[in-house]
Amino acid sequence: MSTQKEPQGTPLDKAPDPELGDDIIAKERYTDADFMRLEWEHIWTKVWLVGCLERDLAEPGDYCAAEIGPESILLVRQQDGSVRAFYNVCQHRGNRLRPEGVGHAKTFQCAYHHWEYKLDGSFERIPDLDTFPQGSPCTGLEEIPCEVWGSWVWFSLNPDVEPLADYLNVIPEHLEPYHFERMAMTRDITVEWDCNWKASVDAFNESYHVQGIHPQLLWHLDDLNLQIDCYDKHNRYLIKFATLSPRVRVPPAIPEGIKAAMKAGGMDPADYDGRVNEIREDLQRFKREHGPEQGKDYSDLNNEQLTDDYHYMIFPNVTLNVHADDYWLFRQRPHPTDPNKMFFDIWTFELIADGEEWPERPEHRQFKHGEKSIGLVLDQDAANLPGVQAGMNSRGFRGLWLGNQELRIRHFHKTIDDYIYGPGKKPDGAL
Amino acid sequence: MDLGLKGKRAIVTGASRGIGRAIAERLAEEGATVAICARDDDAVQEAVTAINDAGGKAIGSGCNVKDAEAYAGWLDKTAAELGGVDIFVPNVSGGGGMDSEKNWWRNFEIDVLHTVRGVEALLPALKESGDASVVIIGSTNAVEFFGGPMAYNAMKAALINYGSQLSQFVRAEGVRVNSVSPGPIYFEGGAWEMIEGTMPKFYESTLRKIPAGRMGTPEEVANVVAFLASPAASLVTGTNLIADNGYTKRVQL
Repeated sequence: MSTQKEPQGTPLDKAPDPELGDDIIAKERYTDADFMRLEWEHIWTKVWLVGCLERDLAEPGDYCAAEIGPESILLVRQQDGSVRAFYNVCQHRGNRLRPEGVGHAKTFQCAYHHWEYKLDGSFERIPDLDTFPQGSPCTGLEEIPCEVWGSWVWFSLNPDVEPLADYLNVIPEHLEPYHFERMAMTRDITVEWDCNWKASVDAFNESYHVQGIHPQLLWHLDDLNLQIDCYDKHNRYLIKFATLSPRVRVPPAIPEGIKAAMKAGGMDPADYDGRVNEIREDLQRFKREHGPEQGKDYSDLNNEQLTDDYHYMIFPNVTLNVHADDYWLFRQRPHPTDPNKMFFDIWTFELIADGEEWPERPEHRQFKHGEKSIGLVLDQDAANLPGVQAGMNSRGFRGLWLGNQELRIRHFHKTIDDYIYGPGKKPDGAL
Repeated sequence: MDLGLKGKRAIVTGASRGIGRAIAERLAEEGATVAICARDDDAVQEAVTAINDAGGKAIGSGCNVKDAEAYAGWLDKTAAELGGVDIFVPNVSGGGGMDSEKNWWRNFEIDVLHTVRGVEALLPALKESGDASVVIIGSTNAVEFFGGPMAYNAMKAALINYGSQLSQFVRAEGVRVNSVSPGPIYFEGGAWEMIEGTMPKFYESTLRKIPAGRMGTPEEVANVVAFLASPAASLVTGTNLIADNGYTKRVQL
């Protein structure tokens, strides 16, 4: 078939597995209000966080009010094209300036007493300023670090945070070959889930649960032979798609999930004479050869990336299913006050082929656990989580008992410990 | 009852696993010499060895029946090796799917043409047998709604029709032709095992339509095929025998 050279793509090197022991993970980390406060103090207010899509801030004055825990942040496109971030709070009496979500503003005027701020956060106008003998309280809105990478706008509540590139470490090198800027948003959903935010991160950081709650995926991916890589804070696994799990027998017909992958790549399953186990590599070759004529530029991706799922976790709260033609970004945000609740943001994107019209951005939708379907696989994940959270609160449960397939969860908790207690400084007996 | 299969020479296509494999094994158990094919030669050799190890007589090799030339060559070679043919069971199917127009070509080429080509190639040998039987593998999908307007269903109906028409055409020359239409058949590595895992609701709803409360087994289909293939069914030709545990609901008059 194709004689085209395979690009190097995202680095495939296996990172050495960290020695993380096999201790039980304390269940109270998922339920305890004090631990939640430690997380707020040492993680959420220290790290870089994804705020919104860069595309949502196309023009000067476009903004997004992004919420994280008890805080709300205004991410604002400036006249000079840069993006800056401010606490979404009026410096007069503390009122929120804008409700959550995206919008456009010439200035930010507080609805209470009409204190008004320019896009750059400085004061535009304070009504009756002469009645404040002490003058104005400051120069304007409280600004925080803000950067753009990966077609997302990032902010940090930590004024002394390291540059985003340092924080992200290997992530840009690994994900830039996908060219997220060529992918349009297809879903923007927030679901209020009845579990701790970490229970949700955990749910996407191992493939062990596939045989448990996603049995249909055993005819679509190899949940056993995958590569796990742990980096400094972040981690990933590389999982083969368009193939069979070794847990199932080779079926006489092509499974529906694999058919869908073939069709998406332009192959006709009815015209395929090979065996089910040969499809993955045939599909890679087909996409390599026919991608250009479909207006899809795969020139920065290696062959495996044309079929497989490269799953990344960007600490602390972004999990990403990345594919050549689409990606799913899940953002897990803590509830402002309740460790038993969280917000699960689903952002999905699809590659727009050259010459294809860029679709309209979907409206943001928000609902509670179980009110609406979010698709079969995510419904299966979601259905489980309230039960997991209830178990974390049970006197009959001792804590998380993790196996090798769950190494990323252990790494995640180790990173949490490093932030909370200092690297390697977790005291004995601490949560 | 002795079916009278001892010493008969049978060809079964698509017999490395599932229903085809069970048919080959059953015929061999009854004393017939069986020749089998499937796309994967390794799988064919495994089946041949298993049948021979169990005391039967089997030969076989890999062949893709969609490839007309290769298939014709395989039939010639196999008929010669058997020293004649008394029984022909064309069992290979292209399977279901509504992905594209290609499904129609696929099921036409694999299900229909492989049966027709096989019959035409083997008819001289079957006539020479003087007591021959062709058993076509249909499906309850040919007579009952299933899954949607699939080429698979329509081509199975074409096969059953072809079998009946053919039966009138060749009976005087000692060849009986019948179809067996299995309902849902469950076996390890079979389509229903995958459906149970990937589409559990569809699997459950199908199961609920079977009054016996379970799907059939390849061995149960093989029993029906073995009977129709045997001289014990000397009075039966041109029929389509539904073997479905009550899955289909029509009254068969």
